[in-house]
Formats: sequence, structure tokens, C-alpha cells
Amino acid sequence: MADSIKEVKKAKKLYLFIGTLLFVFTVVTVMVASVEWLDFGGHGFDAMDATIGLCIAAFKATLVMLIFMHLNHERPMVYFFYALGLVMAFFCMWLIGWSISDPIEFGNESYSDGFYDPSKPATDVHGR
Amino acid sequence: MEIPFIVNARKDTGLFNSKVGIWLFLASEVTLFGGLFSGYLFLRLYADYPWPERALPVLPGLINTFVLIGSSVTVVFAWAALKMREWRKFQIYMAITLVCAGLFMVLKGIEYNAKFGHQAVRLQGGGPVQDNAIVEGHLHYAELNDEGLMVEVDEDRKKEDGVFKANRVLMEASELTFVLTRPTHEAYVKEILKQAGSSKIITLADSYRVISKDELNAGKMNRDQLSNTEKASIADKGEELTIELLDKLEDAYLDARSYDRKIRTQFLAASWDWIRNEKGEEEASTYIVEKEIWKDRRAEDAEKIKILSLRAPSEVTFKVDPPFTLVLEPGDLVKKVNVGDLSAKLRDDTLVSGKVLPSPVIMGVDALDFRTTAQRAEVEGLDPFPVIEGTWLLTHEAHHGNHDGHSEGSNVDHRNEFKKIWDCHMAWLRAETERLEKKDRVPTLNDKFRVNWDQILAYGGLGYDAEKVYEESKARTLKRSGLFDLDGFAGANHKIHGKKFPHLEIPRANVGFESTFTPKWNTYYAIYFTITGLHGLHVIGGALVLGYYLFFGRKMYDSNPEWLANRVEVGGLFWHFVDLVWIFLFPILYLM
Repeated sequence: MADSIKEVKKAKKLYLFIGTLLFVFTVVTVMVASVEWLDFGGHGFDAMDATIGLCIAAFKATLVMLIFMHLNHERPMVYFFYALGLVMAFFCMWLIGWSISDPIEFGNESYSDGFYDPSKPATDVHGR
Repeated sequence: MEIPFIVNARKDTGLFNSKVGIWLFLASEVTLFGGLFSGYLFLRLYADYPWPERALPVLPGLINTFVLIGSSVTVVFAWAALKMREWRKFQIYMAITLVCAGLFMVLKGIEYNAKFGHQAVRLQGGGPVQDNAIVEGHLHYAELNDEGLMVEVDEDRKKEDGVFKANRVLMEASELTFVLTRPTHEAYVKEILKQAGSSKIITLADSYRVISKDELNAGKMNRDQLSNTEKASIADKGEELTIELLDKLEDAYLDARSYDRKIRTQFLAASWDWIRNEKGEEEASTYIVEKEIWKDRRAEDAEKIKILSLRAPSEVTFKVDPPFTLVLEPGDLVKKVNVGDLSAKLRDDTLVSGKVLPSPVIMGVDALDFRTTAQRAEVEGLDPFPVIEGTWLLTHEAHHGNHDGHSEGSNVDHRNEFKKIWDCHMAWLRAETERLEKKDRVPTLNDKFRVNWDQILAYGGLGYDAEKVYEESKARTLKRSGLFDLDGFAGANHKIHGKKFPHLEIPRANVGFESTFTPKWNTYYAIYFTITGLHGLHVIGGALVLGYYLFFGRKMYDSNPEWLANRVEVGGLFWHFVDLVWIFLFPILYLM
């Protein structure tokens, strides 16, 4: 972490650069979601858009953590705490998934049974 | 007491203590938001309704993202200024951070306000999928005319007395029955009395009497005589309804019930003892559960209990003279009512008797959503388009004039406005499908079955002429709202475009479910308000802490500037975390 005045001055330039990168990637995220020639995968929102959007968000979050939160040169204890939080978050996710997969409470049928199946396109305008 | 290691690092951890503290706290925050994001994920994957994709206006969310990123930069600059012992610059950067926090909350407020004022109605009707079309829009306002029926009024009058949102249930109330077994909701009674005004009298239908236990135990009179004594009289027939009177009746009922329970317990204990003495401990325990074995003994006890109990009435009825139209909020009713029903129950079990009057929901419609209809049709193995064409929304009788009352001319089009919009949408969809086919793509569910506010305006701008819509869509000149159109900053703007949105009067029988865009409407809004609300609280909390350093940090700076720099670093770490959460929230809630 920057401690001397010289290092802090240097770090400020980096903070500004990272801030600009975050702005740019925010614009890219919105463009991927709204500009047609940047709409990868199928037309409109789909798994590809979700993947791209979340990858950009994860990249932006990594920049914030590494540079603004100084995780690029922290003490091991901080990494341990952070990892602990992440492990607990994934545990929460697993717990919810586990409870939803309970066949006694929710039945053996998959979620799409009886409801709209997103993997099948609805009858299109020419197919009626 | 001096807290150690708040300026310099401890040798064992290599960190100053407040940093250890904030990282432990942030670890718990990661868990908290991780759990909420998991909740979102599973709610979305397992949703049994079409998930509202890109339902939020992007521009406020985008500005808020810029605002939070900007504040993350300024907070780290404020820390750097302290490191370089530049107090003035620290003040400036920190002040900008706080302004950003304020701006973020203002934008969030605008967004929330738009959701609270936006109405959705899921329609119900016949047909193979029970309709299930959804209309979204802005409720109009109404008042009662001299006959006690609903008439629409201009929105300018919405704050006047007697003006209400046009989704209320009207009930010609002739009798009110309050349940004394639970406390009556005071707000309901006050509202009923307010609406009744001074010209209608609400009075007790019959005297409320509870036998005095002393007189009963004296055994000198029969029950009829006992209930006619002065001591038994709690309230006389004809007494006017007040909250105090209801409280008095409730107290009398609860006293009597408590006495009756005591009597029942005494008999139960006596029977228990008798069985235990006669048959032993084990048999006695069967008295409670084995009702058949001890039925004679039970019947004997019940007779005695009947004689010795006070048996106060648990309900009390008031007559309304003359009957008047009561305006009820749909959310205050236990269950949905229909025109002609003879009673309606409020959520505190109060029964309003009379007759449900015509109570249509009147609104300006800014979106049509047939995705649920299509989903249900496909489950039934039906082509969704003919099913949609048969819904009440597209088939109900047209008014042959707009809501200003002007006639459309002699060449009357028998389609209602929504059918015209749908026909235009089909024309747009045809053009869009042709365009996408050239790129080997297909329209989305939203494209096919949802008509957004900007499409309604665009179709209206072409006089609902489907051919023109097709031509303009094909030429890509159809004017729709763009991402940066300020008219639709927080969604459909009824202040600017109100008159252009079609007017709809939905008979109560066709209202399946209605709500504003709040957690009641669907799980999307439940998780949206939970996560963004919690995030907003974090913004406020972080701003308070950073504001404290800005306004009260000078003394700390003068005594030891490094101490304040450490504090700001810790506060900044929390602020960056708040930014970090938003970095994920923005694409997930606004773009996906």
C-alpha cells in the first residue's frame, strides 16, 4: 500500500485510471445489453448476455477490490477474512439450492413442468 | 481507556486494529449479500411466471452506477489527501463523496416513487387459460355522486376530500358486525365513521348484555331474568358507534370469556380427579384424547358448564341508517368480492353487510403483457396468439370515443383501443420478425407478447394504423423512446403522456389480482426492494460515517493526522464494498 508521499501521488494516478476503466466497462455493459450489433448470442437477453454482463461485473469488482480496497498488497489475515466471507456466501447459495431440491417439499418434477419452458421458443408469428 | 494499535500496525497481524475489525465486518457483509444474491438466483430460476426482464428504467440505474464509481474514486482521493497532509483537499473530496451519496439516494427515491405509483392488474375471464392478461398503468381518481356511485374525476382534484383512487370497492352498507374475540382495528372504525359523516347514524342493533356472575352464582333467577337485570346491561340498543363503545363491549366479552374458561377448567380438573381416583393415573390421561370412551361424562359436564357459564355474545351488530356507500380499499378485504355480493369481510373480521356496488378499476394503460397468457396457453398445448385474441382485454366492447367524450365519426371501428394496439403490435412484430430472420434470429418473448409504453405511444402517433406501423417498422423509422429519453426517465410518464395512454375501465369481475409494483405484485419486486433497500441503508450508513470524519475530523487530524487517515481508510473500505455490491446489482436488476 502507498505510504510515502511519492507513492501516494503515484497511486492517485492509478486510482484515476481505474475509475475511468470502471466508467468505460459500465458503458460497455449497457451497450452489450442495448445495442444490437453488440448483442451476442440470440436476439435480446439470453444466457450469453448474462455471462458477458456478469463477467464484466466480476472484472470491475476485481479492480475495485485489488486497487481501491488495496487487496493487491494486503496482509494474509485480510485474505483469510475475505475468503471466509466468500465461503459463507457460497454456503448460503448451496443451502438455498439444497432446500429447493427437496423432493418432499417441492415434488420430483423439474421447474419447467407445468410452466413455461424457457428452452422452447414460443410459437412465432409465422408459425401460427 | 485508550484503544491500542489504531495508528500503527500490530506486529502479529501486520494490521492496525480497526482494519481487522472492518475486514471481519465486510466478511459478514459478503455472506449477507451473497445469501441475498442466491435468493435472487433461485427465485428467478424457479419462478412460475414470466420473469420481468429489464423491467426497471436503465437511465437512473446507470447514473447511480457512475455516481458510486465516482464516489469510490473521491473517497480514495480523500484518504490520499490525508496521507499527504492536505486537509483542504480532503474536505473537498469527502464533500464530493457525500454529494454523490445524496444524489444516489435521490435517484433511488425517484425510482421507488415511480414503482409505488404504478399499478398492475392481472385480468381474469373465461377461455382456456382464464385470461391472465396483465395491464400496467396509472390509476385514475374518482368520487361518489349523489346516488352513491363512482364517477371519475380529474387528477388535479386527487387531494380533495372524498376523492379516492379508482380501484376501491364500493359497498352499500346497511349493517356492520364487529367481532369481539379480537381487537377491532381502530383505523377501520375511524374511517367508517369518517365516511358516514354526521348525516348517517350507526347504532347498536340490539342491547349488549352479559349476565353478572355474582347474580348467576346467587341462583335466585333463571337466565332470562338474569340477562334483564341492570347489572347485565353493558350497552343499550340504539347507542351510537364509537371506538370507546367497542372497547367497552370487548372488555365485557373478554371478562366473561375468561370466567367461562375458568369454569371449564374446573370441570375438566374435577373429571380428571374423579377418573384418577376411580380408574387410576393412566386412565385419567385418556380423558383429553379418548373422546368416545368418556362421552357420557363429557356430556354431563357440558350441560353443567352451560348452566354455569356467562356465555357472552362474541359479535355485535350495528345498524346503518340510512345505508350509505362505503369506500373500501381492496387490500383491506379478506377476500375478493364481486358486484352484487351481500357482504364483505375486513381484515379484522368486521363484516360489512349490504350490497357490493359496481366498483370498476379505472386506469390509464401504459403496457399490455400477454406473456402469462401465452405461457398458460402453451402449457395447454394451444397456439398462444388466438388465445390472446380471445381475452377480455381485446374483446370487450369499445366505447367508440376517447375518454374526452369526442366521437370518432360515422365510420365506427368496432375494435376497442386495445385490440387496435394489439393489431399494430402484430404488424410491428411481423416487420421485426422479417428483419431478424435475415440475421438468423427470432424475436424474444417480450417482443412477441408485451407491448411497452413507448410502443403504445408510437402506435398511437400513427393513429393505430397497423399498415403504417408495419411500413414504419420495416423502414426502421417508428419513433420509440431511447435509453436517454428523459420523458421516460423513471418509466412511463403519465404527467407528460397521460392523455395519450388508453383509458380502461375494468369491471370488478374481471380483476383477478391488482397491486402497485411492490413486493405484493411478484417475487421479482420482493427481492428487488429487499436488496436495493438494504443497499440503500448501507449508503446512508456509510455517508453518515464519512460525514462524521468530514465535519468532526479536524481535532483528530490536529492531534495525529495518521489516525484520521486510518479511520478514513476503514470508512473508505466500507464505501468501496457498497460500490462493489452495486456493480453486481446494476446488471442483474436493470439489464437482465
